[in-house]
Amino acid sequence: MNNRIKELRARYNLTQEDLAKKVGVRRETIVFLEQGKYNPSLKLAYDIAKEFKTTIEDVFYSENKL
Amino acid sequence: MKREISMIVLSIVVIFGIVLWFSSVSRPIGIGDIILYGCISILVIFALVVAFNRIKAIKAGLPAEDELSTKIKQKAAAWSYYVSLYWWLVIMYFSDKFKLEMNALIGVGLIGMAVLFGIFWAYFNFKGKFNE
Repeated sequence: MNNRIKELRARYNLTQEDLAKKVGVRRETIVFLEQGKYNPSLKLAYDIAKEFKTTIEDVFYSENKL
Repeated sequence: MKREISMIVLSIVVIFGIVLWFSSVSRPIGIGDIILYGCISILVIFALVVAFNRIKAIKAGLPAEDELSTKIKQKAAAWSYYVSLYWWLVIMYFSDKFKLEMNALIGVGLIGMAVLFGIFWAYFNFKGKFNE
């Protein structure tokens, strides 16, 4: 899975720590997410999408498209 | 915060115990003692680093643990358990050659397991991939 977290963070002028605080995770989790090393739980994905006022599909996408 | 403070207090007690032992021992300190207490010291320093990082996170308003840190801990525990099975086999193989007492063998085994957990935790924390 890939994601647009870094792009959306820049749009909303949020640091990794700011986003981590808002969604209730450690800053390292946001780092791992942006690096594509971690696929979040459904709840975390939902919280991140809600924070960016968009949908989960808009934040996270798969490389393998049908 | 209580858990982190308990970790720090326990680490200080262990360090104090090691220092006290080294200062009071009457027999010559061998290489085995240095390796054993060196490993214990490394584990204590590891515990202190983890405790201080957790306190720093809590003070910054971030959680000390989350889904990823729990996953890292679980994966490190699983891998260290698996590798420690072989570690115990190695200890059993070399137990006759080194002629160590049973207590020393068990101590080496337990410390080896703890060190393995630390190594795997560090690996997964810095290099791990959890997107399978």
